[in-house]
Amino acid sequence: MEKEELISLYFEGKLSEAQEITFQQLMETDADFAEEVRYQENVKKAITLNERKQLKATLQSFETEKKTTGSFTKWLAAASIALVMISTYWYFNQTPDHNSLYAAYYQAYPNVIAPTVRSETKNDLQSQAFYAYDNGDYKKSAALFSEIHASQNEEYAVFYAALSLMEDNKHEEAIKLFDSFKSNKESRFSIYAEWYEALCYLKLNNKPAAIKLLKQIANEKNPQQETAQRLLKELN
Amino acid sequence: MSATNSIIDLLKKNDEKTIRTFYNDHKNKFVLFAKRYNINEFDSIDVYQDAFIALIENVKRGKTDDLKSSLSTYLFGIGKFMIFQKFKKNGQLHIADDVASIEIEEDLYSEDDVDLQVRLLQNGLDKLGEQCKKVLQLFYYEEKKLDEIQEQLGYTSKDVLKSQKSRCLKQLKELIKA
Repeated sequence: MEKEELISLYFEGKLSEAQEITFQQLMETDADFAEEVRYQENVKKAITLNERKQLKATLQSFETEKKTTGSFTKWLAAASIALVMISTYWYFNQTPDHNSLYAAYYQAYPNVIAPTVRSETKNDLQSQAFYAYDNGDYKKSAALFSEIHASQNEEYAVFYAALSLMEDNKHEEAIKLFDSFKSNKESRFSIYAEWYEALCYLKLNNKPAAIKLLKQIANEKNPQQETAQRLLKELN
Repeated sequence: MSATNSIIDLLKKNDEKTIRTFYNDHKNKFVLFAKRYNINEFDSIDVYQDAFIALIENVKRGKTDDLKSSLSTYLFGIGKFMIFQKFKKNGQLHIADDVASIEIEEDLYSEDDVDLQVRLLQNGLDKLGEQCKKVLQLFYYEEKKLDEIQEQLGYTSKDVLKSQKSRCLKQLKELIKA
């Protein structure tokens, strides 16, 4: 029997007992034969790993698709709830209720740093932190972002740690972190840090502190200016 | 044909809708299950995906054709086994659960343990022609017998298929030499 045939039968799992013995003998005595078997074992391994990788990517794409649609829907829902609450407030409420104002104006800040795309290479601290954040596991994301800040001194980490704390109802702790942006007006987060800090004060019923911050935001040109002006009006 | 059988057939054909539905239908239950062992969602989804991949592999190799249990029970069996393996390795797990209810072969294809030739082959495979890819994929990955491949791909004789297969293997060998 040809050697090639023998190897093929080996991979098909169809070697007879006698063929099995020949096969083993050749493996020990015929270096070329052994080399060819090893080569084909490796082909099998390579194809298997490629197939798995491809399927893994497909499954991961199911997760990211859901995530994007998920957070978009959440965003829309938050926006429409905010609208309803604001209009309800206009019609029915004469005295400002800080909690409902907070709820009306508060929207989770999106993950703009590391869109959750999971791949083998990105299984690092940052991805884990944002994964937790995107999934609403704020206790975990707060801890992870603090860790990133401690080890890498990244300013985004402070910002998202504060947001996580806020989501976790730890507004006092969040304020401390937002405060750290005061010395760093250049930061792309500083205006949002002020805005969220104002909302923290609102939540804590500290109206003067909230107004002070909102006035700062309302008086300069920035993406939150109009919103801050609107909220100020409602507070006055 | 039973429901399980038709799902198996669709999975064999790589039907994306079936894969997606089957994947989504069991994910949350698995994540909940994994929580009992203090595994966070991030890790449990990762394990779930690997279990799912192993399931598809076994489906394609025909190992689930005579399955006595449902396919989802089978998937959970693999997943539990993987959790068990993973945490046994880390020395963190103390369960004497019903993990062994499904027999799972030891996986010989760990990513961590791959030599240079395999890496070269992984790239070389992409450069092969479609027909070669198909033949090798069916023979080595799906572990189909030559007779089945001959029928599936419509070869006039087994010998034609055999020489095609050895041509492909030679071609691949040349590709990784370059």
